[in-house]
Amino acid sequence: MPDLPKLYSWLLKLYPAGFREEYQAAMDRQFRDEYREARGRAGRLRLLLNAGWDLITTAPAETARELTQDLKYCIRLYRGRSASAAFAVAALGLAIGASTGVFSVLNALLLRSLPFSDPAQLVELWKSPVGAGNGRAAFTAWQARNPYLRSAAAFSASEMNLTGQRDAMRVKVAETSANFFELLGTKASGGRTFTPDEDLPGHTGVAVISHSLWQQWFGGVPGVTGASLVLNGAPVTVIGVAPPRFDYPGNTGIWIPSVFDFEMTPKRGAFLFQTIGRLKPGIYIDQARRLFDAEVRRSDPRSVSAGEPNRARMVSLRNQLAGSVREASWILAGMVLFVLLTACANVAQLLLSRTMERRQELEIRAALGASPARLAQQLITEATALTAAGAAIGLIVAHWAAVVATSVAPPQLAAQAYTVLDWRVLGFSAGLALSIAVVFGGMPAWLVGGLHPSGQITRTRRMRAGLVALQAALTLTLLTSAVAMGRTFLRLLDTDLGLRPANVVTLSASLQGTRYRSGAAQWQYYSEALNRLRAVPGVEAAGAVSHLPLANDVYMANAVKLDSGQTVPQIVMNAATPDYFRALGTALLAGRDFGLGELRHAEPAVIVNEAFAQTAGLGTAIVGRRITAPWSDRKYLIVGVVATTRLAGPTHAGAPQIYWPVEEEPPPALTLVARVHGQADKFLAACEHALRAVDSEVAVYDVKTLDQRLADVLARPRFYTTATLFLAALAVLLAAIGTYGAAAYSVARRKREMGLRMALGASYLRIRHMIVRDSLAPIGVGMAAGIASAVASGRYLESLVVDAHPVDRWTCTAGAGLLLLAGLAAAWSATTRVLTIDPADALRVQ
Amino acid sequence: MPRVKASPVDRLLPLSLPIFHMLLELTEGERHGYALKRSILSRTQGKLNLGSGALYGSINRMLEEGLIEESGERPDPHLDDERRRYYRITTLGRRAIQAEAVRLRDLVRLAESRVQLPEPA
Repeated sequence: MPDLPKLYSWLLKLYPAGFREEYQAAMDRQFRDEYREARGRAGRLRLLLNAGWDLITTAPAETARELTQDLKYCIRLYRGRSASAAFAVAALGLAIGASTGVFSVLNALLLRSLPFSDPAQLVELWKSPVGAGNGRAAFTAWQARNPYLRSAAAFSASEMNLTGQRDAMRVKVAETSANFFELLGTKASGGRTFTPDEDLPGHTGVAVISHSLWQQWFGGVPGVTGASLVLNGAPVTVIGVAPPRFDYPGNTGIWIPSVFDFEMTPKRGAFLFQTIGRLKPGIYIDQARRLFDAEVRRSDPRSVSAGEPNRARMVSLRNQLAGSVREASWILAGMVLFVLLTACANVAQLLLSRTMERRQELEIRAALGASPARLAQQLITEATALTAAGAAIGLIVAHWAAVVATSVAPPQLAAQAYTVLDWRVLGFSAGLALSIAVVFGGMPAWLVGGLHPSGQITRTRRMRAGLVALQAALTLTLLTSAVAMGRTFLRLLDTDLGLRPANVVTLSASLQGTRYRSGAAQWQYYSEALNRLRAVPGVEAAGAVSHLPLANDVYMANAVKLDSGQTVPQIVMNAATPDYFRALGTALLAGRDFGLGELRHAEPAVIVNEAFAQTAGLGTAIVGRRITAPWSDRKYLIVGVVATTRLAGPTHAGAPQIYWPVEEEPPPALTLVARVHGQADKFLAACEHALRAVDSEVAVYDVKTLDQRLADVLARPRFYTTATLFLAALAVLLAAIGTYGAAAYSVARRKREMGLRMALGASYLRIRHMIVRDSLAPIGVGMAAGIASAVASGRYLESLVVDAHPVDRWTCTAGAGLLLLAGLAAAWSATTRVLTIDPADALRVQ
Repeated sequence: MPRVKASPVDRLLPLSLPIFHMLLELTEGERHGYALKRSILSRTQGKLNLGSGALYGSINRMLEEGLIEESGERPDPHLDDERRRYYRITTLGRRAIQAEAVRLRDLVRLAESRVQLPEPA
């Protein structure tokens, strides 16, 4: 039999320290006595079982009793110090809240399951070797012999006009292969999804609608299957409703199995086929990627080596959906961690000074026989109580942080509500609070471990200085990053977009599926629409374009040949009407604008932008030259040069563009632009009404001011910048408070020394200088470390954020200066207490 | 309605069975923990076998409530010469055990007036 008394002695550690201290010896001895007296193996076994049962039933109760005592004591202790305790708790709450909020976003983006079954096995293929464009038979054959994918589905998403019983509306439609839902593992919440043969051309007149479209279009009434919808003029029958939250690919409202059916819906313009796949069991994404790359290299060597954005590659669907938010979230997570550490340093300061103030009490308790374990338990309980209070506040903060984060979520994940009440998020928060409590409660407890007064004071002083230095280093890193982010954002705001966004109303109209089929009919509609728009009182100029800047469009780029024989690559093709440039506020740099009756000219005209002219190396002298259109062999005369507009907003460079007159070949959808006198948002309703009055069958959508579009484009950088600045400000505040605490403590501790100095003739000012100097020294040390870490984090930032402003000497100096000022102010105000010192009193202090 | 203020003794009632037994035992004189356990065990014919946790937990509670106090450490003459901690009952402890006994007696009388009790064996 094992050494039972030893085992029992070990098990007694389950009791709390205070209880153990009093009774462990007696319990040990008693067990040994009983063990001696027990008869035989059975008797000993019974003894052990009884002891075990006794332990299980009494240890929790004793622990709870002792914790309650410690907590009551802790509340009494902090009642007199409520201000500093409240501040430490609030700071901790903010920091825990911010970390939890950011974690909940990361959780939603990266950890939690997507509304697909087994999403880790799903991949997206950019430029699939065989796609929907190759036809159904080729795609099915490719899928069947694919060595890394168990199955593959093709889809292509575009916006279409939805008509029927109600006002026409614009909806995102995914044309898919029949196995789309099956591959994702998504079942219809009502009705059914597609059967295997429904993607055969001629059988595709069925549709699955999203939960939100069901609510919006059908008012959520049950029994919607069998209802008919008209998509771009083609009738389809609803066969099912997708589950709530499911809107893949991003914001899709309707899925139809027509990706291989080139007759069913006219596929013209920028039509992109996408392929998703589910990996074969046992194949990891890295292996699959190698197989995919090899396959692409065999079939189309060029697409592997093409420029980064157009390269063929395989990505995990989860990463693809999280996109750029993922990187930004990691930056935020890093910053929040820094703030958290800064807040923790404050809590540690508080606990340290409390411990030092209570040194005498703790020493007396130790002298009376309280074991170090008992005192440590008390201190850790205190720290746990503080952090638990902080964590409770933190959850409230986290809730708000998550609400804010939701507003900047990428559209693909907007349906994924960020929730704080998720076991991972709650676990993270609790784990964070607990580890803070153990580390920062353990620190003073460790101090108490060796209660040697003199050694302890030096140790504490070093520890405090270390904490202040740590805060300074963290804060400086945050500050410089925030300044860099802020400067990046200011530069974004300051970017010349090539247009004047104020006082502009924009609205789109689509003629797909309407009675306007011929180019002439479409041009007639657009002309009428523009006339009605110009007739709205207050409208100064109106024009239309196929790709409006800031509209988040997908563009096709082509290479264009100049009459000199030179080829200009990657040109965005755009159609514009007369007066479009005036309405948008884009400067005409040379030549002329389009006029009415452009088709009457012998030679068809185009306008190019400055970026094109520069790429061609000709500047405004390009007016009068000719280009060959990529879509035909016709020659076009360049009649004007306009300023370059940044299509995708200030974060992207302006692409070279060619504008052709809408009249020549009207696109199926246009965005109308009206420059108005006065605030644009007051004209939104009037402009929309004017357009709908032309023909109620035509879908009018995206009615927004240009300022709104700009704000939408800038929303995410604005959020990240604001968050960074807020976190940096919080860190500065925390660091200032840390410095204040350290300086105030130093004043209290050195009262006697100061009294002596005063008695020997030192002035108040001199003493204050001394304290401030001592307080600033650790900040200086921290800043030296901080600059190194600031430069490193700046590099990281630059690698993640396009066009990030570098952390340069100026930024570091500004950050350091600000931090030093904050520290100086804090230390100086902490030393006001010096003024109240009476040398005679001070000398009496023990 | 005037509120009846509970006396410090009433606040302690009812006493738990182990505490009642221990206090009863201590009215006989000072005892250490293990001795308390053994005499309770023999008096109840093995029915109340207090584990160490329950025993010292109760002692801890009685000390906190002032029902007993420590009388110092000394060797147990019956066992060996190891030093053990002895406890004695306080005045409050005596009053508590008295009050508990009265409470139990009243309860028994009430029960007797309502139901027929068998004669003690």
